[in-house]
Amino acid sequence: MAPPAQSHRSASPSQPSGKSEVSDLKSQLRQLAGNRAPGVDDSKRELFKKVISYMTIGIDVSSLFGEMVMCSATSDIVLKKMCYLYVGNYAKGNPDLALLTINFLQRDCKDVDPMIRGLALRSLCSLRVANLVEYLVGPLELGLKDNNSYVRMVAVIGVLKLYHISASTCVDEDFLATLKHLMLNDPDTQVVANCLSALQEIWSSEASTSEEASREREALLSKPVVYYFLNRIKEFSEWAQCLVLELVAKYVPSDSNEIFDIMNLLEDRLQHANGAVVLASIKVFMQLTLSMTDVHQQVYERIKAPLLTLVSSGSPEQSYAVLSHLHLLVIRAPYIFSEDYKHFYCQYNEPSYVKKLKLEMLTAVANESNTYEIVTELCEYAANVDIPIARESIRAVGKIALQQYDVNAIVDRLLQFLEMEKDYVTAEALVLVKDLLRKYPQWSHDCIAVVGNISSKNVQEPKAKAALIWMLGEYSQDMHDAPYILENLIENWDEEHSAEVRLHLLTAVMKCFFKRPPETQKALGAALAAGLADFHQDVHDRALFYYRLLQYNVSVAEHVVNPPKQAVSVFADTHSNEIKDRIFDEFNSLSVVYQKPSYMFTDKEHRGPFEFSDEHVNLSPGTESADTVVPAQRVDANDKDLLLSTAEKDEGRDASSNGSAYSAPSYDIAASQTQKESSISNSNIPGNTLPSSSAIDDLLGLGFPIETATTPTPPPLNLNQKAILDPGTFQQKWRQLPISLSQECSINPEGVASLTAPNALLRHMQSHSIHCIAQGGQPPNFKLFFFAQKAEESSTFLVECIINTSSAKTQIKIKADDQSASQAFSTLFQTALSKFGFP
Amino acid sequence: MPVAASAIYFLNLRGDVLINRLYRDDVGGNMVDAFRMHIMQTKELGTCPVRQIGGCSFFYMRISNVYIVIVVSSNANVACAFKFVVEAVALFKSYFGGAFDEDAIRNNFVLIYELLDEIMDFGYPQNLSAEILKLYITQEGVRSPFSSKPTDKPVPNATLQVTGAVGWRREGLVYKKNEVFLDIVESVNLLMSSKGSVLRCDVTGKVLMKCFLSGMPDLKLGLNDKIGLEKESQLKSRPTKSGKTIELDDVTFHQCVNLTRFNSEKTVSFVPPDGEFELMKYRITEGVNLPFKVLPTIKELGRTRMEVNVKVKSVFGAKMFALGVVIKIPVPKQTAKTSFQVTSGRAKYNAAIDCLVWKIRKFPGQTEPTLSAEVELISTIGEKKSLTRPPIQMEFQVPMFTASGLRVRFLKVWEKSGYNTVEWVRYITKAGSYEIRC
Repeated sequence: MAPPAQSHRSASPSQPSGKSEVSDLKSQLRQLAGNRAPGVDDSKRELFKKVISYMTIGIDVSSLFGEMVMCSATSDIVLKKMCYLYVGNYAKGNPDLALLTINFLQRDCKDVDPMIRGLALRSLCSLRVANLVEYLVGPLELGLKDNNSYVRMVAVIGVLKLYHISASTCVDEDFLATLKHLMLNDPDTQVVANCLSALQEIWSSEASTSEEASREREALLSKPVVYYFLNRIKEFSEWAQCLVLELVAKYVPSDSNEIFDIMNLLEDRLQHANGAVVLASIKVFMQLTLSMTDVHQQVYERIKAPLLTLVSSGSPEQSYAVLSHLHLLVIRAPYIFSEDYKHFYCQYNEPSYVKKLKLEMLTAVANESNTYEIVTELCEYAANVDIPIARESIRAVGKIALQQYDVNAIVDRLLQFLEMEKDYVTAEALVLVKDLLRKYPQWSHDCIAVVGNISSKNVQEPKAKAALIWMLGEYSQDMHDAPYILENLIENWDEEHSAEVRLHLLTAVMKCFFKRPPETQKALGAALAAGLADFHQDVHDRALFYYRLLQYNVSVAEHVVNPPKQAVSVFADTHSNEIKDRIFDEFNSLSVVYQKPSYMFTDKEHRGPFEFSDEHVNLSPGTESADTVVPAQRVDANDKDLLLSTAEKDEGRDASSNGSAYSAPSYDIAASQTQKESSISNSNIPGNTLPSSSAIDDLLGLGFPIETATTPTPPPLNLNQKAILDPGTFQQKWRQLPISLSQECSINPEGVASLTAPNALLRHMQSHSIHCIAQGGQPPNFKLFFFAQKAEESSTFLVECIINTSSAKTQIKIKADDQSASQAFSTLFQTALSKFGFP
Repeated sequence: MPVAASAIYFLNLRGDVLINRLYRDDVGGNMVDAFRMHIMQTKELGTCPVRQIGGCSFFYMRISNVYIVIVVSSNANVACAFKFVVEAVALFKSYFGGAFDEDAIRNNFVLIYELLDEIMDFGYPQNLSAEILKLYITQEGVRSPFSSKPTDKPVPNATLQVTGAVGWRREGLVYKKNEVFLDIVESVNLLMSSKGSVLRCDVTGKVLMKCFLSGMPDLKLGLNDKIGLEKESQLKSRPTKSGKTIELDDVTFHQCVNLTRFNSEKTVSFVPPDGEFELMKYRITEGVNLPFKVLPTIKELGRTRMEVNVKVKSVFGAKMFALGVVIKIPVPKQTAKTSFQVTSGRAKYNAAIDCLVWKIRKFPGQTEPTLSAEVELISTIGEKKSLTRPPIQMEFQVPMFTASGLRVRFLKVWEKSGYNTVEWVRYITKAGSYEIRC
């Protein structure tokens, strides 16, 4: 362990500076070291306390290591604990000295008092010094067999600690089998729970390199194991219950009877006082019923009350954690919560992070019957002292208006906002009125009358200014002063810092020009001149474009700038549905709070130098931001096909019309010629045979009960050359199936070097009967989705493959209908991939 | 995994580390610096209790003058982490005997280190039950000096206790006088519009118990809730007695309550832990009796004067009374001078919170005192008139009154030795967030 963080900082004046005190302590400890007189323990305690307190405030007391160890020969348990704490803190920085402690720790591991055995073992495992690993194995083995459950509990976590110091020792010494045995047989539930934590963690991290580990990890989700945990769930502590429920949520029951049995068993968990248990149970209920629409609805109804209770009890932080989850559910199924809208009313003193979520929920649940009340309530918040919340609530009103319930009353309210004469209220309302007009052009008359009264001088925020300018351009025929206001704005071109505003100004003055040429001509000239001289590339380009367009043909220009417009029917959503589903799959975790799937904030490659931005992950085109408007027919398409089908749809169209970075794979007919060979090469893939050891186990019948539940050796894998899968099905499957394999592998660097566009790779993979269904990304990162089907049956494999060309590494995630075959398929896939680049 | 916390820090308001425990090496030791720099020293503090900095997520909570920060590097379970912090603080409090603040931590750091080691191992929550931990955490809090404990005494088999049939209760407890205290504590939340209509109103209640009972007693609690009564009359094939029945929206129970039995028979039966605990929590939205009605009239007389009249009506029984009633009436920031007339209690202007604060120590039922105040404002020509008017807020406690109408019908104690018990039942209703817009 690194010494506490502030050790390098100068301690504050009230704290001792260190040096002299430390040497003082040193001599005092020396005196006491050999002393065995009665009562000496009390003075030792005082000294130890001093040492620990120095350690806590960040003074480096590592120089006392020797003396502390000498003093540790005591039977006083309090002294021992302080000593263990000290040793744990400094051992990592002083590996040589740590060796000194091994002796007394090992001795304590054999103490008669189980308490001391446990403490010593915990401290021994917490030394975190790699070259002392050999001393850990013996005590751990004994600890796991100890007849006291406290010691076993500590030992189990000790194995996990050992794994983190030296994974190979942990695996080689066969601790995992012992843990598995304990997990299924130990009478103490905390021991069982710790085994589960440890095994989950170890097998998950081993799974990428070891087939056995990934099989074991799958076995945790097998019926006997899950049932074993479910039957004992009431004995577990509340924290361990969370752990078990998390496991159950991943279990895939075989039929609906099983689903109902599990739900009946867990029903009363929804009344548990611990909110974390309730949330974990909700997750189980949600996940189990995903495929049963009716029951899923009932589950929503059932969990509503407990969730609302949780939100209204506990500290604001706890309630925020629950509210984030409620938020997710409300957004998924707003109609179920539409009668509970009053629960989402904000209290005056609530922290703004709670208010913000509530506002979003109020927006989501608005429907015909409650819009009036909700909007009335939101208007109260618009006058809130907290300006960000006031803004949010105005935006919320606008969003409800765009959901087209009772627009009449809302428009009036929005126009009232414009007259409130508060800068931020005006600004937000302007942006909203703009969006509203794009959707309901029929309201232009009422709106323009009010907007016309707003002095552009009072509008400073770029977004609001841009909105105002847009309206000036769009409705210049209805607004008397439009050309003159625009002219005024153009005169102050140099003072306008926002490029967005300048771009809008150019377009608006163009529009105005076509409607009222004589009044605008002068302003247009000035605007084009200013635009051409602009240092901002986009502004410059747009000005030049307009200029040339006007030069070329004025009527064409008019058609480009002022085409007849269709009203926008649906505004694009910020999150793609795939993202939303992934977040839902990770219910009861940070993903929900951050509102992004975990790979975006935990995977190293997503945080590191080559980070996937949100745009890369959005697979459906045109979903850039809430403000972006997509023409009606495009949006309709987006609503239905979520993940991939757009790729197919776009095939027929001009490729350039597709704004997305993802393009459809171009299937090459030539590739089909090579397919015959591929099925031959597929049959002799080495990965198809299981490691012989476990096969022998099975023969002798020595395996643990779980092992019998694991799948038999898969038959050799042949892939269908002409596999077909439509994008909708792919997407559906991708969402439903668990990840059966997740691996990292490298590909031939020469091949990668030539991989400027992924198309070459697609053809190559197709020659191995693995088909691409969607692809995207830009160098150095490519993301591809593949699928393949078994030759004999319609069992499919789905692959997500992320290639980083600079490191020649790929990350693959495989999902399969037939989980047992996924390992064989993975080998096949990697073999195919590794051949890429060779002629 | 629910929480694999990498580290837990206790910081004071200046950001000094009071105590820290690094459970895992996957976060750097400088994480606390990141927290200080990116959260404590910025305006971010208080904007969101969950933040990501670098690759780590920080969950933080402020409790009195201490920040408790949990650092995780994985996709952890947030609800579990916060619950853990809350439980841990409750545990510390039970050890220190009351307060949890910077001083208590400084005075008990060795004890906290010990507890931190026991309640979490390698980032996984272990045992947080104070009852069990007290069996093997040997140091005592500051309340009494170190006792020279005989160290060779074998420690009771602690974990077996946890996992036994009643993990929350020790065996062999003996009390001279067997007593049970039961408190029903309700807090009323109200949001009333300026027109006097109720926008939102609910009651969150708790049943708190204090048990000093010998042996392994079995308790059974009967309330006048609708489902319980209906079930009972069904079982006894006898019509429900007339009288008010209460419909509970949602109930949660302490782990000692037999949930299976509650679901089948609708009775609350349990073997209680020793000492104080929260038996159940409930929420009610229908049929709430509001203890107070507030009728404000606020008139603006020109630019510089305001007239404020507030009438507060107590609608509970005339024999009862409320205690510690505080009514906060917001006034504009530019208030210069105020003058009051009140028919009961005392009122003054508090400039720090821009409110007229009206306090009535004892407020009998069925009365309606009034406050009338004149407020003079500093004339502000440049500023536009303020449209923001926060709601009137109210605090109170009404003993022997429940806003929901919930009553204890019976509390039976059964123990094999058949001793006599004394049961004490109290009710109290407090103001939660009681807001009236004006």
